[in-house]
Amino acid sequence: MKRVVLVVVALALAGCNGGTVDRHALTRDASTLDSIACEGALLAHDVARGRTTAYFAREQAEELRIQSSNLADALSRRKTVPGIEQKVRKKAKDAARLASTLQRLHDHPTEQAVGTTVEQELKKAGGCP
Amino acid sequence: VSKILGLALGILAAIGGFVDIGDLVFNVSAGATFGYELMWVVVIGVVGIIVYSEMCGRVAAVSGKAVFDAIRERVGFKAALGALVASEVVNLMTLAAEIGGVAISLQLLSGLPYRWLIVLAIVGLAVIVWVTSFEWLERIFGYGGLCLLVFAVAAVKLTPDWGKVGNGFLPHLAQNNKLLYAYFAVGLLGAALTPYEVYFYSSGGIENRWSPKDIRLNRANAIIGYGLGGFLSFALMITGGALFLGHGISPEHLGTIALGAENPLGRIGLLFALVGILFAVGGASIDTVFSGAYNLAQFCGWEWGRYRHPRGAPRFALTWLVLLALALAIVMTGVDPVMLTEYAVIFSVVALPLTYIPILLVANDKTYMRHYGNGRFANILGLFYLLVIMIVALAAVPLMLLTNVGQN
Repeated sequence: MKRVVLVVVALALAGCNGGTVDRHALTRDASTLDSIACEGALLAHDVARGRTTAYFAREQAEELRIQSSNLADALSRRKTVPGIEQKVRKKAKDAARLASTLQRLHDHPTEQAVGTTVEQELKKAGGCP
Repeated sequence: VSKILGLALGILAAIGGFVDIGDLVFNVSAGATFGYELMWVVVIGVVGIIVYSEMCGRVAAVSGKAVFDAIRERVGFKAALGALVASEVVNLMTLAAEIGGVAISLQLLSGLPYRWLIVLAIVGLAVIVWVTSFEWLERIFGYGGLCLLVFAVAAVKLTPDWGKVGNGFLPHLAQNNKLLYAYFAVGLLGAALTPYEVYFYSSGGIENRWSPKDIRLNRANAIIGYGLGGFLSFALMITGGALFLGHGISPEHLGTIALGAENPLGRIGLLFALVGILFAVGGASIDTVFSGAYNLAQFCGWEWGRYRHPRGAPRFALTWLVLLALALAIVMTGVDPVMLTEYAVIFSVVALPLTYIPILLVANDKTYMRHYGNGRFANILGLFYLLVIMIVALAAVPLMLLTNVGQN
């Protein structure tokens, strides 16, 4: 039983990195940001074409904004392993910019012109197809 | 005619009632991560739930005993207590996740504040359960859940590569990212084989007063209903693969799933998807809350059943009210329902053997089943699935930790 507990604890520790951002965590957070941007772009695409409802666009944009804002906060504060601090802080700024773009979509969920510009910005930010 | 009508209604309810928040999250996420490569796992999961639901429905029809009644009698107090505790913990986690899902669906439809909607969802569900008959509960949520068929239309409209979809039905291992692939495989099996489904199914058989005459009806309900429910799972996975994988999106919100219908079908697709999700997770909330109350009542030997007025089974009624209150407390902490769903599904996988082993034992017990016990085919399938269940139960938690709950 003791061995089982030790294995579980070891696995749990392997699953978290103690709050320090390493290269692996940076890659994962970067791909999460790209995913948020691409989802936001898809949503903005539907706003631009009047193919969604105001409530859905507003609430979904807000969910994505909160997620990117939390990432921005975490990436700007957390300790990093040596050599990648600049990259991490740059990602934090990207995440904050993403949050502010999504805020515009949240504030104007029925304005097709806003949808068009937000879609372009988010596609560029996330490198989306 | 009334039998055919009853069968059709039961099947419709089963299709709409099969998909819950766990199926929604795991099928769409698996599609968004691995395309159509995990379709074969859904087939294994759906056949598994058909095999065991048919078995426990037959036990209910022949012996008049629901699963937990039989577990209590067949495996003894200590083992039954273990099964009860495990099932109640998983049920409560699932219930909280489903209620969070109801509140999110309502929020995406109405724009009202999330926390108010959690309270509204709980009060609404309590009132509906209190005033509606068991038969109509099944039908209302089952039929509402049929709106999820919009994902089948969306999947076709997204023009997936059907050759690749077909290849996905052939069992195979991943070329890379093997741990994450295994994690999703375990999650998909867990979502399809969730224990509350068999508890609810067998107790539902008692609620509907099945007798040995209804064994064929039980078999048809299980095969066609869950089989077509699996069809919805395929549609969700294809939508995830055809839309989100190509766009590099990994879905982390319930709203993202609805976006999968909105993008190809516009506003009408979105509304069908949101209403379908609302009814599917609302129905699953009722299934889980009843499962929790059924299990405790059957374990303790209390009067139980929705066909009785709450005054006729007061401890049963009090149990489901307490479970709703506990779920309210959990969701109000602000826990993310999607994340909670993933934990609930993975922990339910760990509890699977405690549910399925006793069902197989009882279905072979002649004192319960007389000449309606399992045949050779049912036993071969049952044993095969027990093996699958044991393997995934052992692998579930390590995979969850190693993949950081499917995050990497």
